[in-house]
Amino acid sequence: MNLLDPNFRFEELCAGRALGDLTREEQSELTALGLELGTDPDLAFELLAASIELDFLKSTVEPLPVALAARLHRSAAEMEASSVIVHPTFGIGRRVLHHPFTGWAAAAAVALIAALGLQGTSEISPLQAQQKLRSQASDLVDRNFSGLGIFKNASGSVIWSDQLQQGYMTLSGIPVNDPKKSQYQLWIVDPKRDEAPVDGGVFDIPTDGSPVVIPIAAKLALTHPQAFVITLEQPGGVVKSKQEQVVALAKG
Amino acid sequence: MDLCITQFGGIVWSIVRRYIKDSAEAEDVVQEVFTEVWKKAASFDPTIASESTFIGMIARRRAIDFLRRQGRQPGFESLAAAESFAQPTAEISSIVCDPETVKTSLANLPEDTRELFHLFFDAGFTHPEIAEKTGLPLGTVKTRLRRGLIVLREQLQRIGSPNNQPAS
Repeated sequence: MNLLDPNFRFEELCAGRALGDLTREEQSELTALGLELGTDPDLAFELLAASIELDFLKSTVEPLPVALAARLHRSAAEMEASSVIVHPTFGIGRRVLHHPFTGWAAAAAVALIAALGLQGTSEISPLQAQQKLRSQASDLVDRNFSGLGIFKNASGSVIWSDQLQQGYMTLSGIPVNDPKKSQYQLWIVDPKRDEAPVDGGVFDIPTDGSPVVIPIAAKLALTHPQAFVITLEQPGGVVKSKQEQVVALAKG
Repeated sequence: MDLCITQFGGIVWSIVRRYIKDSAEAEDVVQEVFTEVWKKAASFDPTIASESTFIGMIARRRAIDFLRRQGRQPGFESLAAAESFAQPTAEISSIVCDPETVKTSLANLPEDTRELFHLFFDAGFTHPEIAEKTGLPLGTVKTRLRRGLIVLREQLQRIGSPNNQPAS
């Protein structure tokens, strides 16, 4: 054990993160060390902490309060009724799910969805889904995109509902991209959620000029988004954007 | 989703209640947990952890995140808002995280570490409370818990190593 070894310190901070005991300074140190070492915190610590807690908890699990259980079942029914599976219609290209777990999750996703009973989605187009969201949400954030720099012709709008955790962009004037070379990525600035922008998903623009509707795939629950930023990134997107090519910005 | 609520509702409720004593607040967080489970279902890999561990992880993160937002992070109130349970990260080491293996590995830890784990994970004491109970300095409690977790992960990594897999 070398206490001066940055790798050891990084591990220690990862463990602290899983235990929920990082100070503000340690959180910054963890971020800085991660950048220096070119790695991200090991999720294994969080899984392990949960596993230990469950092991100790086993004999003392309390049942859900009846009223809460009823509320959850009602919410589940509402979520199922409002959820959608979007398809690449209306000229929308392949929608790439960029998620840190993508590599190991893809094959397992179907298994878990079946195991957890997470079924009940309906299949409608992004445009229909967008219209449905407009008609259902009472808390819609509605912003207009403005193109920046060489993307000055880009325009469009974005809608988002905190309550339903759904949103859509309608974009036009954004150049067609070659997914093998680069992809667009949405970032959502939500200071109440986190200092770093939240990854809103990777997408392609397959047709030049005509409007396309693109669903937002926020990787975290948003509480109060203040701005939406589109960047051009490497295929598959990035975990943290250097914002070298900012395409468009929408803010209040 | 109904099945998921029925099957794991008690676990989620019990975990959240350990961190959040106020019932109304705990109920809101439990609702957030199931919303996240819905959204993160695609992140699950049954070869790495059980469904209950996966959901338990989300419940812990949500509860701790709630306390952080409220400035009531357990044990570190004056340093609240320090932790950011952001996006699950890109790295995950190869560990075997099934309940039996974790239990066996826990039993292999030194007794003083096991005692700290018991006080923190089982009894639900905060770091300052553990320091008071054990007479250890607060910093020592924090360090030993962290290093205990690292040691445990290393044990589980060894078990998960391909070199330790039985020949087929």
